[in-house]
Amino acid sequence: MFFIRRFIVRLGSMVATLAVMSFLIFFLVELMPGDVAQMVLGQNSTPEGLASLRESMGLNDPFLVRYWRWFSGLLQGDLGESLYMRGVAINSILWRKVGHSLVLAITALLFYVPLSIFFGVVAGVRAGKLSDQIISFFGLATMALPEFVSGVLFITLFSVKLKILPITSVIPIGESLWGNLNILILPALSITIVMFGYVSRMQRSSMIQVMDSDYVRAATLKGLPRRYVIFRHALKNALLPTITIIGMNMGWLFGGLIVVETLFGFPGLGSLTMSAIKTRDVPLIEACVLFITFIFVVSTLITDTLYGVLNPRVRLAKGVD
Amino acid sequence: MRRILHDLKSNPLAIAGFAVLFLWIFLALAGPSLMNFTYTEMDTQNQIAPPGTGGHLLGTDALGRDLLARIVTGSRSILTVALFTSFFSTAAGIIIGFSAGYFGGLVDKIFLRILDVLMSIPALVLAMVILGVLGDSTIMSLTLMISIAYIPATARVARGTLLTHKGREYVDAARIMGENNFSIMFRQILPNTLGPIIVEATARFAYSIMMVASLGFLGVGLQPPTPDWGMMVIENKQIISVAPWSVLYPALAIASLVIAISLISDFFSKVLIHES
Amino acid sequence: MNHNIILDVQGLSVNYQTYYGTVSALRDVTFKLKEKQSLGIIGESGSGKSTLAFSIMNYLASNGSTDGNILYQGENILEKSEREMVGLRGNKIAMVYQNPYSSLNPSLTIGKQLDEVTIFHRNLSKKDARKESVAILKDLYLGDAEGLVKRFPHQISGGMQQRICIAMALLCRPDLMILDEPTTALDVTTEAVILDLINDLKKRYQMSMIYISHDMGVVNKVSDNIAVMYRGEVVEYGDKKSMFHKPEHPYTRALINCIPRSGIVKEEYRLNTIPGYVRKRSIDEGGCPFLDRCGKRVENCESRYGLREIAEDHFTACDRAFAKDVADDSLIPKKVDVIEKTEDGEALNIVNLYKTFNSRGKKVRAVDGLNFSLKKNNVLGIVGESGCGKSTLGYTVTGLLKPSKGKIYFDGTDISMTWKRRSPEVLKEIQLIFQNPGRSLNPSFTIEQIIGRPMKRLLGIKSKTERRERIIEILKQVDLGKEYLKRKATQLSGGEMQRVAVARAFVLSPGLIVCDEPTSALDVSVQSSVLNLLTDLQQRSGASYIFISHDLNVVNYISDYIMVMYLGRIVEFGKRDEVTSPPYHPYTEALLSAVPDVDPALTKGAVRLEGAPPNPTKKIKGCPFAGRCHKKIGEICENVTPEPVGFGEIHSIACHLYSAD
Repeated sequence: MFFIRRFIVRLGSMVATLAVMSFLIFFLVELMPGDVAQMVLGQNSTPEGLASLRESMGLNDPFLVRYWRWFSGLLQGDLGESLYMRGVAINSILWRKVGHSLVLAITALLFYVPLSIFFGVVAGVRAGKLSDQIISFFGLATMALPEFVSGVLFITLFSVKLKILPITSVIPIGESLWGNLNILILPALSITIVMFGYVSRMQRSSMIQVMDSDYVRAATLKGLPRRYVIFRHALKNALLPTITIIGMNMGWLFGGLIVVETLFGFPGLGSLTMSAIKTRDVPLIEACVLFITFIFVVSTLITDTLYGVLNPRVRLAKGVD
Repeated sequence: MRRILHDLKSNPLAIAGFAVLFLWIFLALAGPSLMNFTYTEMDTQNQIAPPGTGGHLLGTDALGRDLLARIVTGSRSILTVALFTSFFSTAAGIIIGFSAGYFGGLVDKIFLRILDVLMSIPALVLAMVILGVLGDSTIMSLTLMISIAYIPATARVARGTLLTHKGREYVDAARIMGENNFSIMFRQILPNTLGPIIVEATARFAYSIMMVASLGFLGVGLQPPTPDWGMMVIENKQIISVAPWSVLYPALAIASLVIAISLISDFFSKVLIHES
Repeated sequence: MNHNIILDVQGLSVNYQTYYGTVSALRDVTFKLKEKQSLGIIGESGSGKSTLAFSIMNYLASNGSTDGNILYQGENILEKSEREMVGLRGNKIAMVYQNPYSSLNPSLTIGKQLDEVTIFHRNLSKKDARKESVAILKDLYLGDAEGLVKRFPHQISGGMQQRICIAMALLCRPDLMILDEPTTALDVTTEAVILDLINDLKKRYQMSMIYISHDMGVVNKVSDNIAVMYRGEVVEYGDKKSMFHKPEHPYTRALINCIPRSGIVKEEYRLNTIPGYVRKRSIDEGGCPFLDRCGKRVENCESRYGLREIAEDHFTACDRAFAKDVADDSLIPKKVDVIEKTEDGEALNIVNLYKTFNSRGKKVRAVDGLNFSLKKNNVLGIVGESGCGKSTLGYTVTGLLKPSKGKIYFDGTDISMTWKRRSPEVLKEIQLIFQNPGRSLNPSFTIEQIIGRPMKRLLGIKSKTERRERIIEILKQVDLGKEYLKRKATQLSGGEMQRVAVARAFVLSPGLIVCDEPTSALDVSVQSSVLNLLTDLQQRSGASYIFISHDLNVVNYISDYIMVMYLGRIVEFGKRDEVTSPPYHPYTEALLSAVPDVDPALTKGAVRLEGAPPNPTKKIKGCPFAGRCHKKIGEICENVTPEPVGFGEIHSIACHLYSAD
């Protein structure tokens, strides 16, 4: 019962966070310098033309009225129209790009989650030994590399020297992502590198902590084989913090996507956000940033729930500690 | 202090980290005057020159600008911004995080709510949006903006370290012995949290370098003609197939600096937190 | 090969490689354990008793190295591989630990954790293993064993968790069971139940036992023989009666007389103390380990020592023991009478005090309607199990917590508010000494700053030299020299730190000091000197104490009045001798009979409390103790709250047993 109540509370706080965030994003983006009407009409604008456009776009309305118009549109699933590509509904651009980014993000997740957990556990169990030192240094170094640095290194190696993978990850016009899956490899690898360092180091330290715990010692002194102690007693508890870390870093992952997609020219949410900022396409910036926030909030909720399901201390908690 | 030096001796990676960091600081301070070329000079004879040709130790870019001069000059802005950013975000984080954690109750709840909201947007995206608001980036605006983007994280860390000490009896003892809140927070507790705070500040230093480089790469960092490592990577990416060095060297510069600082931060966390 | 001997430890030494050099944790430990025999090992922290336990399991940290032999059934354990040890651990030799909660895996059910033992050691199927697990729980008198196996460790109480751990150790009918401070984390009433259980199991399961504890009383209850350890060595070994009545080693003698025990009170005796503290032992340091703290040392102590048999089955390591000139180092009867007490007026008066906390929307009644007063120049001891509200009361009096309802008067002034709203004059008058001195002194301050800050803030002494003079003076009163001024708390031993804390409180010349378990974190040899110090300073200064402790012997030693608390209420209040003798509140009686006695010849009544105090979030209609009471009279106990019944001037008991008459 307590667990379900906890979920509902989290869900409510997620909705509240999104609502506040939508306001903040709208506020920030509207503050951006430059006149929207001027941007739409370009060089050959007349003062009269500008004035009438402002009127028709509702730009003269008070801030809160404009916010409410945008927000109520959001609630009905209407993200508005792009400014840069006049008359094009954001809905028609955004979702395809989001789809691409999700494919890329999931590919990266499939790479780095098993890799970093495996190496993190190995390093944690063998803490202090040579294998741990190598894994730990590698983790530290990769965590410190911005995505585009590792991306550039990969391009130099795989595309320039070995010429086995494309330099850019553009989808040729008329084709779909599914026919060009090889373009995913380098961007996904670049993300994997950063996240690997972060997650494996977390996994290592939680593994060390658990291996050092009283209950693992007790399990060993019960005469259970070491392998069994590691897999049945230590691993489950040591995975819990890692799950949180992976979930909490979904936001970071999407921040990283902006960089990676820009580097490789991959047609996803990140490069869309980037080009929206470059072209000052206000409604599109708002939509993209809000969606990134949405991804983060949802993944936090999922992690939190998963954590609760896996941890009997949360799942079976009584009302009072 | 003696303990730190003793541990440093047995940690070659940390020594290497310090060495690389000091090398970059030296290059930033004295480097540009030692170069054969200035960072804007275009050697029209040697465009896209491979490393070593025409006196260009690391080669040139498409405009014939000396890569070494540009990288060395670029270290100035990136180090300046990162240093001030880690200082400001840590200092502001301590003040905000300490106040929230110390007073607790409603103040803390509101603080945590705000934090939840702010942290739901990646720092990089937040920084990009604020940068868009501010217009052209300068060292000042970049520092300010990255500091703001990092405050939620530093404040959270500061709050956490404060909370581990707030429950200690010496804080209770100070309260009933007439100390006021300000002196409890900053005179009694702060000195005991220096370890984690130093670790956080060095980690922030590394993150700031990554952030400056990423923003430069995305074209919202410092504006030309100031050379910026991240910007150099994206500029030269067009010629990567003919001149891979022009991308590789600025990338390696970023990597060496961030890895060096991370090694230092890792060392501090081993010495100052885990073994105390 | 003597088949009677199950464990033969021969010249066992363990060293640890640390940053500060090689530290000797065990040195030349030799003893034999027979079948069905139980050996108690007593030692203070740093004596190496836990290292000994883990050595027998062949489980040492990677920086440890061993020398010597541990023969189990004639085979050397130290030479066995990890794989060979897997067959022994948990099967032939089983272990139970100090902290049951952290020794159980939080994410596996209790049943699963029990089953795996027999699955691995006895190759049982899952189904048979579960049958076996349920059977052993029933054998340990745990009701609803079938329900219990489906639960997770966090869902049951600490005493129950420890019984699960004991059951787990017994699953394979081991030859040898090692218990490492198994009751230290538990309340005294739970401890008594567990100790009874251990005694019962020892007989029924016919096994040998090694019981490790810092508490002599506890060891006495469960062992035949006792070994006293000090700084890595066994200094004396023998039958428990002769160990208590004819101790030969100066350390054993000093130790026994350090411990407050029944019948020992401050008016009649000063506790024995051992100067100094336990230092880490470097590998180069030879000679008698007790040398630097021993009052009986002579020149050849540095070279001559080693365990020798002085009577049948009684060994001691002190060479002096043979000389027979070692005077008995016993309790010192007080010669000078106590300064005549001036008892004009009440130091503290508490009226209808309540303190409730909010925990996830539910109210926890920590202090639930207290009324009492404390005369000036007196010590009020407060006892009760954890969660009875004794610390909350102390924190409310000192102003760290705000009372939810009711009034607190100090010397007639209303102080029912927190420190924020108390004037410096009031703050100065009421001081608090905490349980853990390491946490109550700011680690980044020097001793001078620690004692000087409150003088500046509360006494308004601006001059640094004046402060320093008074700090030096107060340090002298707590037996510390002025070389301590510039030291930091982290450089001091536990006893020294607690002395600094005492000095910090007394430098303000307060009228009331709340001592919240001030000696619980200290070793017994240090505890006695702090108790003596607190007694002396109290009598000299005329301050009153509220002395909170879970240890009835300590409270009995130092207090003039005793208050027994249960679930936030007072169940008994009175002069010390009134509370510790009949008529009792049933809870007081249970507490008194649960306290293990240092003297093995004494046996106590066997009132045992089952279960745990009720949930403090529930409003209780009747007597809070009704559910566990062995003298419950009927429905009245559950439905009507008992009012305190007076016996004499002050003594009162809140129980229907007496109001019904």
